[in-house]
Parts: sequence; structure tokens; C-alpha cells
Amino acid sequence: MGRLRYTISRLLQSVPVIVGVITITFFLTDAIPGDPVSIMLGPSPSAQQAAAIRAKFGLDQPLYVRYFNYLFDVLRLDLGTSLYYQVPVTQKIMERLPVTMYLLLASFTFALVTAVPLGIVSAKRRNQPTDHISRVVALFGVSTPSFWIGLMLIIVFSFWLGWLPATNIILPWTGPANVDGASNQIEVIIESLRHLVMPMITLGTLQMAAFTRIERSSMLEVLGEEYVKLARAYGVSESKIVRKHAFRNAQLPLITLVGLQLTSALGGAVLTETVFSINGMGRLIITAIQNQDFQLVMGTTLVFGLAFVIGVIITDLSYAYVDPRVSFDGGE
Amino acid sequence: MSDKHRTFHSKLNRRRVLQGLGGVGIAGLAGCAGGSDSETEGQSGTGTGGGSATEDESTDGGSSGSGGSLRMALVKSPIEFDPIVLNDVPSSQVVDRVVEGLYTYDEGTGVVPLLADGEPTVENGGQRYTVTIQDGATFSNGDPVTASDVKYSFEAPVDEQTPNASEVNMVDSITAVDEKTVQFDLQYPFAAFMNTLTWYVVPQSVREEDTDAFNTGDALVGSGPFVFEEWQEGNFVRLSANGEYWGDPQPNLSEIEFVPVEEATTRVTTLRNGENDVIEEIPPQQYTTVRNSISDASISEVPGIGYFYAAFNCNEGPTTDPLVREGIDYAFDMDQAVSNYVEPTGVRQYSPLPSAVAEDWGFPVDQWSQIPRSKDVDQTKALFDEAGVPDDYSFRIIVPPDDKRQQIGITISNGLQEAGWDASVQRLDWGAFLEQYLTGNEDDYNVYTLGWSGTPDPDAFTYYMFGATEDTLGVTDGTFYHDSSEQAATATEKFVEARRTNDQATRKQLYTEGITTVLEDRAHLPAYNLKNSFGVKDYVSDWHAHPVSSFTLATDYNNVSVNQQ
Repeated sequence: MGRLRYTISRLLQSVPVIVGVITITFFLTDAIPGDPVSIMLGPSPSAQQAAAIRAKFGLDQPLYVRYFNYLFDVLRLDLGTSLYYQVPVTQKIMERLPVTMYLLLASFTFALVTAVPLGIVSAKRRNQPTDHISRVVALFGVSTPSFWIGLMLIIVFSFWLGWLPATNIILPWTGPANVDGASNQIEVIIESLRHLVMPMITLGTLQMAAFTRIERSSMLEVLGEEYVKLARAYGVSESKIVRKHAFRNAQLPLITLVGLQLTSALGGAVLTETVFSINGMGRLIITAIQNQDFQLVMGTTLVFGLAFVIGVIITDLSYAYVDPRVSFDGGE
Repeated sequence: MSDKHRTFHSKLNRRRVLQGLGGVGIAGLAGCAGGSDSETEGQSGTGTGGGSATEDESTDGGSSGSGGSLRMALVKSPIEFDPIVLNDVPSSQVVDRVVEGLYTYDEGTGVVPLLADGEPTVENGGQRYTVTIQDGATFSNGDPVTASDVKYSFEAPVDEQTPNASEVNMVDSITAVDEKTVQFDLQYPFAAFMNTLTWYVVPQSVREEDTDAFNTGDALVGSGPFVFEEWQEGNFVRLSANGEYWGDPQPNLSEIEFVPVEEATTRVTTLRNGENDVIEEIPPQQYTTVRNSISDASISEVPGIGYFYAAFNCNEGPTTDPLVREGIDYAFDMDQAVSNYVEPTGVRQYSPLPSAVAEDWGFPVDQWSQIPRSKDVDQTKALFDEAGVPDDYSFRIIVPPDDKRQQIGITISNGLQEAGWDASVQRLDWGAFLEQYLTGNEDDYNVYTLGWSGTPDPDAFTYYMFGATEDTLGVTDGTFYHDSSEQAATATEKFVEARRTNDQATRKQLYTEGITTVLEDRAHLPAYNLKNSFGVKDYVSDWHAHPVSSFTLATDYNNVSVNQQ
């Protein structure tokens, strides 16, 4: 019951944040120089044409009227119509969101699956070659732009070796009829994985590096705790100490970071989707900005903002779940 | 029109600011929705697309669809398919396979009959064109192409105020004389009307039944050699051979799939690893890769119908003085700039006219190529001093978000700084640029760089560039050159006169005189034209890069097939 109340309270607290995101994005988008109608119609639209477009999209109304109209529309889950695509913004978002979610899920899975063992091994073998290698890998991941990693992967594994496809992501539940060369669902899944490998690594490398570093330092800290020293004194094996006593406590900082990394991952998705020609939210927001598609910019930003807020809430809930010292009633 | 972000239409937007990034697509995009550029290494019309089959063999293609399926990477995703409303190059590149016009282009820039039965009858001093539709011409649903469909197709853009209204708004009235004869009466004699007659013809009844479905492709019907199958926005568009195609030849290809791949390195990789059989728009730094590292592919290219240039503010500021404009010409070397930043994806251009147009008309390009100055900053200083440019004057150069045009701007800026004057280059987003370059205000710009695409007629590259009317001054022309001197007014009025004259020799004379004056007066500094460039696998036969239409698949001079083992 406490958990539910806490969840609802956190959701309510996020409402002002979302309204703030909408407000700031709305006025910033309006402040962008240039006229979306001139982009849409070219350099010499007739006055009638321009007026018709402005009226259709409500661009002929005062800014404050448009703002409140937009807020009320959002409450009705109506994000308006895209100026560029001429379809409802929600339709475009629903088309693109699954792809980006799939990519994010895969990249976070990749990051966690590689970072946690790497961090633990690194901590257990502090200042040994394994630790040095792990730290170099983490430093490389943190400092290398994701688009460069993507291009290098493409050049090596697609251009030179020809092992992996360079474009697109196939969702594993896609029907075989819609996937070249696939005659059954197993082949679709295999093809899906082939398409996923490089974008997943591209997007997940930064997260992997950040997680490795936090996992290592957190594990080092836990391994230095008094109760761990006591366990050692009792002759408990090192692997058992890590597994039974240190592991869960060492994950608390990592859980916090996972939620916070969601924003950088969304930013990385924009570049990754561009490099691999993936039809997701990242490319959608780029298209929206390039075409000054006001409604689409607002809609995609809102989704990104919501994703961040939800990520933070999940982090908080997870933290409380993992750390018994944290209660849902506040305080420790 | 200006090219914004690579949107080109082969038949669309005869006038466009070139916003595109390059190559393919200038063809026909006349305006602002981004385009591509093109250029031909060899002769126009002789695409080098690596085919192993001889052209003659494949052109006669036997049964429709026996030549395999083709997968082609476009730079951007098509977004709509109703030719009456579509306003982007990728969409037109798809639609051009499905929908035809009364006329089309031959291998180069010549206009030849397609749905029409022959040349139009021209009367009333060039203000009346009468066209007869071929017997047997049918849409893919079996309906005959009628004069009413033609009338509807030419009237709809204006009636509905679509972005393409300017393509056909010189027409005063259209009469369906009978089932197969249509008569166009123009508001004024318009010499380039033959290009207008390449406009799409759609079936009125089908489009009106459900315009939304027509635009999404679900109900798209045309008379072309391919029919629309499926579209997933951002993923692919699939066309299949029209088994009931009325024309000749029947298409060899059974299917075409267009996929968007925006990132150039990725696009080139998909050619190498076979994900795509053809890719469009090869950037300069990738030419060597395609030529040397992909053994089973080659580059097919042809100069497009485009024009990239630096232009001066002749309305306010020091650049209103021809001496200053000449001084700026002396401040840098355009030949070198084009060589450094554009080739091999483009070619140096010395006049507003694309090479294909200049060659077709026999304009004195050699004479025009002698007009630009070689770099000599001492001359710049001397001319600026003579014109009285203050030593502390700061020149403002604005450029659109395109690397090549930005580099031209930076080169000019560097030259001015070398000569001792301050100069800044500001790269603006398209929305801001399109507003700013038309103000004529000194505070906004002294110089701007831009690109233009249009139909293959001198009119498209003179009238809109050096506007002598309210339709163009401050609308498509940011130089305001027409108002800057008596000589300028005389020259630019020749462009208006030429578009209303039907005699080719007279037009040529008027354009030659007008362009020569404009170049000597340096209203513009012509820079380059881009190529429609394609990477083509060797197993793709008979590929043809086209200056106007970007590429062609099934015509009387080529018929593409895929001969993959």
C-alpha cells in the first residue's frame, strides 16, 4: 500500500515537470528563426496558400492562445497534426516508438550484461592487468562519440567483412512475409539479431563504460566494508562474499545511474538511428527540427520528457526495493 | 526554387531554392524543398551505370517484369505520393515511375511526347497549345486517359492551392475539346510551356474518390510502367511492374524497392555489401571509395539541372557598387574553391545556366568563362579604395546549412580578410535563411550563397534569379539587381521579354545579352552545379542517370534489369 501511495505521489510530482517541459519547448520552438510555412511551400508561396496553411495549423492565432490550446489538447491526448507528414503526431510517435524502445532495451541490456561482470572483476583484481584493461575499455567508451563507434563498426563488419547489415532494425515479432529471406519466425529473430548487434553496441558502449566505472568503484567500496572483512575473517571464500554479501549492496549506485543514463541514451539514439538508418524516435525528432514542424517537435519532446520522468520514478522505486534501509514513507 | 533539404522532384517544382545536399534530385525540383544535384561525366544520356547487358538488348525487354527486382537507397524517405500535392524530391522520385505526363524528357533535356500523340499545335501567338492524347493510353486500373483527366490534373494544383500551383499557374483556361483533345490557353505567351506540359496526369475519378488514400499510395493510380504496392514511411516504398502498361517498352524489372539511407558512409556500405543494388548521391569524399574499393560497382552520373552561386546585395551597402562586387571577385578564386570543395560531385559553372541547357542552346559559355577574375587581393584593395569602402567596414556573408555553400562563403570571407577587411560568415538554418536573404537589408547580408533548380529552360534560371517583376524581387531574388542601375534594368527586362517570346533565335539573343551583362556586372558569381550521381552494381543493366528526372528505368532508350546470380 505504501509503495502504491509512493508511486502515485511521485507521478503527481512529475506533472509540474512535464508542464514545464511543454512550456519551455513551446516557447523555444516558437522563438526559432524562420517560418515553417516558407519551408513547406517554398520561397514564393501565394498569400492565399500561406494563409490557408497557417489557419489549418492554428499558426494565425496569438502565441498565448496557441499555448493554452496546446495544453488543453495534450490533456485530451491530442498532440496535433504534423506539418511535415500531415498526419496526427501520435500516429507518427506510435509508429516510431517501438523501434527506439527495442533499441534502448537492447543497448541497456548489453551495457549491464557487460558492465557488471567487468566492474566486479575489475574491483576484485584491483591494480592488476585485468583491472587496467577494464578501466581502459571504460575510458574508451566514455570518451568516444557514439556516431564514430557506429561508423567504425559499419566500416569493419559491413564494408570490409560483409558480415552484418548496415541499415535498419527488424523487430523480432515482425512477420516472415515482411523480412527478406525469412521463411519462419526463427529466421526473423535471427535476422533481427543480426540487424541489432551494431546499433546496440553503438548506443550501449557509453552506458557500458559508465556502468563499469560505477560498478567497480561501488564494489570496491562494499568490499572494504567491516561486514565483508568479518566474513573474510570467518574464512568465507571471496566469490561467495561477492555473490552473497557484496553484490546486492553494490548495485545501489548503479541503479541510480541506469535511470539517469536514460537521457543520454535518448540523445545517443538520435545519432545511432541516423548512422544506421533506423526508423525510430531519434530520426523523427531530427526531421521535426529540420522542418520546423512545431507540433512534431512538441510531441517528440514531450515523449522524451515523459521517458525521463518515468525513468527517474522507476529508479526511485527500484532503489527503495533493493535497499531495505529506504522506506516508502520517507526517510531511512 | 531553393534547395532545402534535399528534396527534388523530377517534374516538380520547376523553380526551387536548392536546399538539398547534393546530387540527385535537383532534377526537377525547382524550389525549396531540398534537392539533389547532378552532373554527367560523360555525355548526357549515356549513363555509365554499370551494366553488363547492352543497352539495346535490355531496352526491348520482353515480358513485363522478367528482369528481376531492384533495391535502391534514396537519401531521404518519401512522405506522400499524390503528385498534385507532393513537394519533396524522394516522393517525386517514386511517383515518376507510376504517373506520367503528356510529355517527358528524352535522354537529355529535350521534350518528347509520352501520353501525347505528337507535338502540340501552337496558335494565338504562343498562347494556345492543343494536345491530342494517344489512343490506347490507359491508367493502371484500365481506365483510358482522357482530356478531362488532363484538364483536372493541371487545374487541381491551383484550385487546391497546393505548393505546386506555381508549376501550372500560367495557364488561363483549359478546355477538353473532346475525349482525346485538350486545349490550353495561357495568360501570356510562355516560351517554356513545353516543360510545363510534362506535368503529371492523374485519373480524376480515382483521386477524387479518396484523396487521402491517393496521397498515401493506397489508391495511387497512374499510367506509368510501375504500380504502387506498399509504403512504410521511413522504411521502404515498393513498386511492381504494371502488367497492363499501355506503352512501350514493358518494364524489365518486376519490382523496385526504395529505402532511405541518410548517412552517406552507411549508404556506400550498403552498395558494397549488397544490401542495395543502387545508391544515390555519392559525396565527394566517397567517390574514391566507390571507384577503388567496390570492385563490382561503378558510378553513373550526369550534371543536373541546377545552379549554385554567390550573390550580392545590390539594394543596400557597398555591394551596390559594381566596383566592390568586382573587388570581391578578385578576393578569391572560384575555380580553386570549386575544385577544393565540390569536385568530383559537381562541376564548375560559369553562368546561371546548367551545362545541359547551355549546350542545347549553344550559348557562349567559353566567353562567359573568361569573365571571373583570378585571385589578386591588391586589385581588391584598389577597387575598394576607389569605391570608398571604409577600412573598418565588416562584410556579412550568409550561407544556408550546406557544407559546400558554406565553404564558398568562407573562401570569400578569407579573401576579404586577406585584403584587409573584416568579413564574417553566418550559417543559418533554412527557415531563417529563406527569410533573411530576401530582405535586401545591408544589416542582414552583403553576400549570400544559394542554389537553384528548375526546368531545363533558360527562363527558370534567369527570370527568378534576377527578378524584374514583383513576382520575383524579394520573393526569389535577394539581389535586387534589377533596381540597382539602368543597365541592370535593361538586362533583366530582356529575361521577361524572352519568356514571352516563342522564337528560339530571338530568345537566345535576349538571354545571351542579358546574361552577359549580369555576369560582367557581377550580380552573381556563378559557382558550380552538382551531379545526379549513383553507385550502381555491375549486375544492374542499363541504368541511366538523367539530368532532369534523376534517373529513368523503362524508356525507349533504357530498360533497367537486375541480373543477379
